[in-house]
Amino acid sequence: MPRETEISVNERAFIQQALQENLRLDGRAFDAFRPLELTFGDEYGVADVQLGKTRVIARISVDVAVPPPERKFDGIFQIIAEFSPMASPAFEVGRPSDAEMVLSRILEKAIRRSNALDTESLCIIAGLKCFALRADVHIIDHDGGLVDASCIAVMAALQHFRRPDVVVEGEKATILSVREREPIPLSILHQPLCVSFSYFEDGEIFLIDANLSEEQVRNAEIIVTMNKHGEVCQIAKYGGATVDPLALLNCTNVALQKVKEMSKIIQGKLEADAKKRDAGGLMAELSAENER
Amino acid sequence: MGPETILSHLHRADGSATYTYNGYSIIGSVNGPIEVPRRDEHAEEATIEVNVRPAVGVGSPKERHLETLLHNTLRSITLIRSIPRTLVQITLQIRSLPEGEAAVGVNSSLTLLPHLLNTAVLALLSTSVPLATIATSVLVAVSPKAPTPLLSPTATELLRVKPIRSIHVFAFSGERKLLLNESDGAFSVNEWDEACEMAEEVCCKEGGVGLGEGMDVDGQQINMEGWLRDVVRRKVELEQRWRTAD
Repeated sequence: MPRETEISVNERAFIQQALQENLRLDGRAFDAFRPLELTFGDEYGVADVQLGKTRVIARISVDVAVPPPERKFDGIFQIIAEFSPMASPAFEVGRPSDAEMVLSRILEKAIRRSNALDTESLCIIAGLKCFALRADVHIIDHDGGLVDASCIAVMAALQHFRRPDVVVEGEKATILSVREREPIPLSILHQPLCVSFSYFEDGEIFLIDANLSEEQVRNAEIIVTMNKHGEVCQIAKYGGATVDPLALLNCTNVALQKVKEMSKIIQGKLEADAKKRDAGGLMAELSAENER
Repeated sequence: MGPETILSHLHRADGSATYTYNGYSIIGSVNGPIEVPRRDEHAEEATIEVNVRPAVGVGSPKERHLETLLHNTLRSITLIRSIPRTLVQITLQIRSLPEGEAAVGVNSSLTLLPHLLNTAVLALLSTSVPLATIATSVLVAVSPKAPTPLLSPTATELLRVKPIRSIHVFAFSGERKLLLNESDGAFSVNEWDEACEMAEEVCCKEGGVGLGEGMDVDGQQINMEGWLRDVVRRKVELEQRWRTAD
């Protein structure tokens, strides 16, 4: 398998010098995201995110399973992110690269362990049956910022997904098909989103949403996960350069602002999609969802 | 109407195609010719690697089986001897399957196979990997409820004529040669002959088909070779627009 093509010395010097002069190769400001495009599929729970040239598709699917004995009242939720040679010929099938490990670990910490999804609501009969939800993350095109794009894709897909309704009589549970009962949305407790900062020049310059060539030049990376209420879900730092604690505090402030903007975009897209599906305005009557 | 296609829309891959037809949506990408790992290297020909990635979950033996079938078919249409000691890496990501696909009750790897093969050929064309010929593929379903075999039926059409006695996948080269045949179910030699003939008409003949209904899709007749030629014509027009512009 060919290795990832390393950035040339000239290109590296060029990017570094441009940064010294407050310039980025694509003309963005240092704290600007690339244009975010979010589209939903015809089915529920498919989100296609394009962040500049990076493209990620997240797909949520549901199954019925037996809950693990130590967590009887919980459902199962898994996030699977596997790279394929489609994103880059350097990604080999069945041999996870470092980037892949980082991505699945961050998604795990950011979304699963921050309890973004209320797994208790996935329980059907305690200890016997529960919904097993899985989120498959497909990397289609890779131009840096995979963590940010994947996190947006998974969160948007989770909010877009509808699970089938279920009727429980004693120990017998019946899953109702889409035709019988309108499927119900998942209970999402909060919406964590990741913002990655790339450090250059030993922590003097930081960039948001670096593209692939900037990622190859940077000293270090900090990934901050926050929700729009300003709660920090996780902070991860990869790479060698030391970072000033005050700069880190500054990062969380910038991240909050970005997360708010992105949440707004996602919310807008979700509402537009709901309106498109709600032909004739019958959705409210069909809904079997209880008020929380 | 033939399948909808978008060519060369991915930035990292050398060539790519998105194929959407009858509710199947597949993204295909090709990297190649690239460096080949030592263990797969052939002295006189290129190595072809096919990866099929399902929409949900990780690859299973079903995908491995599809990969083997695709590998053998694509190997026979690629001029592997003109690019020796290289690797052509084909990745096919299934994006969505039609609704009710699981309820049809037929071998789902066979219903998927023609779409995967068509996507792979499109992606190879987009990459400009040297090909000896093109390949087009179609699914034929035989049911006692339908008077004639169904040609590339949709999932709902299949549900309507349940139970399905047999399904066949045929792939033809540009020279009308049978490249691939996979059949499943109970059928006689005559039935197979009829199905093969129908598939050949759809895959190969330029300018429409003449047999029975079943071939009409939205009132228009499909012709896979005509469709593929149309896609290539548009690709060439797009690539040569600097020449034609005045």
